[in-house]
Amino acid sequence: MFRPRVIPCLLLKGDGLVKTIGFDNPRYLGDPINAVRIFNEKEADELIFLNIEASRPRRGLFGRLSRTGIPLDVVVRISRECMMPLTYGGGVRSVDDIRALFGVGVEKVALNTAAVENPGLVTEACDAFGSQSIIASIDARRRPGGEYEVFTHGGTNGTGMDPVSLAVELEARGAGEIIITSVEHDGTMQGYDLELTRRVADSVGIPVIACGGAGSLADLRAGYDDGNASALAAGSLFVYHGRKRAVLISYPSRSELRAVFGGA
Amino acid sequence: MSGSSVPRVCTRCILDTTVPKIRFDSNGVCTFCRIHDELEKNHPLDAEGRQRFEALIDTVKHHGKGREYDCIVGVSGGRDSTYTLYTAVRMGLRPLAVHFDNGWNSDISVSNIKNATEALDVDLYTHVADWEEFKDLQIAFLKASTSDAEVPTDYAILSVLYDVAAKHGVRYILNGHSFRTEGVAPITWTYMDGRYIRAVHEQFGSKRLTTVPIMSLTQLLYYTFIRRIQVINVPEFIEYEHETVNRVLEEELGWRYYGGHHHESVYTEFFQSFLLPTKFGIDKRKLEYSALIRSGQMDRAQALAAVQTPYAYNKEIVEYTIAKLGLSNEEFEAIMRAPVKTFEDYPSYYSLIRASRIPIKIACNLNLLPHVFYEKYLGE
Amino acid sequence: MADGRARCGSETMIAVIEYGMGNQGSIVNALRRIGVPSIVTSTREEIQTATGLVLPGVGSFGKGMANLERAGLVSALEERVLDEGVPILGICLGMQIFGERSEEGGVEGLGWLPAETIRFRLETIGSRIKIPHMGWNGICANGDPLLTGITGEDLFYFAHSYHLTEIDPGHVIGTTEYGYTFPSAVRRANIWGIQCHIERSHGSGLRVLRNFAGLC
Repeated sequence: MFRPRVIPCLLLKGDGLVKTIGFDNPRYLGDPINAVRIFNEKEADELIFLNIEASRPRRGLFGRLSRTGIPLDVVVRISRECMMPLTYGGGVRSVDDIRALFGVGVEKVALNTAAVENPGLVTEACDAFGSQSIIASIDARRRPGGEYEVFTHGGTNGTGMDPVSLAVELEARGAGEIIITSVEHDGTMQGYDLELTRRVADSVGIPVIACGGAGSLADLRAGYDDGNASALAAGSLFVYHGRKRAVLISYPSRSELRAVFGGA
Repeated sequence: MSGSSVPRVCTRCILDTTVPKIRFDSNGVCTFCRIHDELEKNHPLDAEGRQRFEALIDTVKHHGKGREYDCIVGVSGGRDSTYTLYTAVRMGLRPLAVHFDNGWNSDISVSNIKNATEALDVDLYTHVADWEEFKDLQIAFLKASTSDAEVPTDYAILSVLYDVAAKHGVRYILNGHSFRTEGVAPITWTYMDGRYIRAVHEQFGSKRLTTVPIMSLTQLLYYTFIRRIQVINVPEFIEYEHETVNRVLEEELGWRYYGGHHHESVYTEFFQSFLLPTKFGIDKRKLEYSALIRSGQMDRAQALAAVQTPYAYNKEIVEYTIAKLGLSNEEFEAIMRAPVKTFEDYPSYYSLIRASRIPIKIACNLNLLPHVFYEKYLGE
Repeated sequence: MADGRARCGSETMIAVIEYGMGNQGSIVNALRRIGVPSIVTSTREEIQTATGLVLPGVGSFGKGMANLERAGLVSALEERVLDEGVPILGICLGMQIFGERSEEGGVEGLGWLPAETIRFRLETIGSRIKIPHMGWNGICANGDPLLTGITGEDLFYFAHSYHLTEIDPGHVIGTTEYGYTFPSAVRRANIWGIQCHIERSHGSGLRVLRNFAGLC
């Protein structure tokens, strides 16, 4: 009865939803609240919102309620509309940031750059809020030699670290889940980096969410079968349609998901 | 409609004096019935009519040779536009489906668009308006206090269609307006032109509109006379009966009915079921039912009985709309209470259109503009 | 222990207990969607006037109990629930706290329900079954009014590493499969508990909430 989760992963830039390719060239998609409403109606499993402008100060009309650039005003509206579990990531740097996010109704918080620069934060956050609320988000690029390297700051800063060792360390610190994203595959709709996903999934006992590159339901299945992921995240697949990549929100129906994952 | 006087009703359809400036002839039949008859005369559904339609399709195909697409079809996920797309493909055309995303799509509208374009193997292009800009324009229209709150969307769609047609070198836009089942909206209920929209936005809006195209008259003239882009209302030329159309769409395209007219857009639902009846005393069902009566698809007595029950609205939709527009309760109350105005309180091209009666009639006779354009703005 | 219903529907007011353990807002939101009046509270007075109580909970057992005690709410709750029989629904950690103790930190719970909380006994490395149990799963219900209308088609969102055990089968009103079968919904008289997050489980979750509101 338990089938892998299929999760739209949406990017926030200011007040708008955007989509990137290789973590670059953000293209405007529309109002995030309307996207949430539609995913609600389609009964999506979960939603992940990642703020890609996190390190830069907000310039929008809405005032910032927190110094680190977390758009709490947008998040609270998203949370009110959302009828499934909600994850927020982007610019989360302290326990106070996390507390503020839970305060506006977010279920899980993803730590990315902060988990690398300040791993103690992961331990502190898990102790304070429980493992199931804290996700370690790891972005990685494949190096010429075939090895992978963790990148922080929106895929721009190479750390020299191996994603598997980072994943193992963050699990030990209490993280409840890992999102593993391939920077190069992002937005390409050519499939996940299955090698990267599998290496991480096989090394930890906590659920791993595959992210970056899914372009079809078959890719999601491959992420589960060959990538050993427990959950499959996708952006382009759920916001684009057709040859011309027309912006159109979609999500597989329950019967389509049953057909893809055979069971439940 | 508040007030104690009972509105006078047309003896043939059910439009009444809630349509400001409506006129009745000596038999008590309204102008809109006459307009319907005029359009019916221009679009007979007999063998000759069918031949003319096929000749028109052939012309579209001819002009599209060697191009990626031969026509543009605006799609909203609703019945009319989906059936227009279906008809285009079945008649052998190669359309580009174009959708205007104003931030109010519902689950049903996006599903319908996806399923239809997939089943018909048609390319889709979406123009996404910046939500903050579009919201600004919508709020401007609410503050203008006219019954034209949906006009920004309708006109932006048209502007996008012309723009995309020009970009692709396509000369034909296929529209889904069906006078037989929708009727021609009285201009005192719905008035639309580029100058009017810009004027309202200038007076009540604050954001620069860079992603919401609002065609100017010059642009429309350029598209029509220089680029020779024509708008064809496909349903005018074909048998169009709601139940049959619904069934075909459901069976062949996995289309889902959304309940009520135009409710695939959340804002349209707010507008038609709440704003129009509550603030303006306008029940748009009368428009649709009147058209159906004239086409023999609905019984007049039934229609009269149906509009006795107030238009049902969903409180959640109203609350969602207010929240999404970022209006406080006070601001919204102020909008609802503001005295009703009309398009004539704002600058528009209306006087110019009236002065150009003859050239417009000629353009319609030459099929450069659809006949319904003449009837809507000048048909009295 | 007193039995069931406190007041009839038109005066329903559900108090969602605030004790620093997360997600009260989502519960209030969900109740609002189904038209049930509710407040978030940590005061005795509001607990005393509510016709139904919800104890949410996300986080560790130890912290949950400590917070509850520090907020001075235990006696107010015991009065309403144990003495006056007001219906209460524990969600996720909230349900586990009704039990006697947890393996997590070896802490004692409220002891309202004879049961213990243990970590999932699953081998996760190299397995497809991971801990936490995170995702959509079903509940096999046995007819209790809390789960009226819930069938095999309904799915709920689970997010937990610990579950109830050592529980009287007579108190189990729903079970779920994850590696093995564990109790996912419980009831003892006017005390209900559910392991999943019904406030984030779409229509299925709302149905359970509606059922509970109907019992208040």
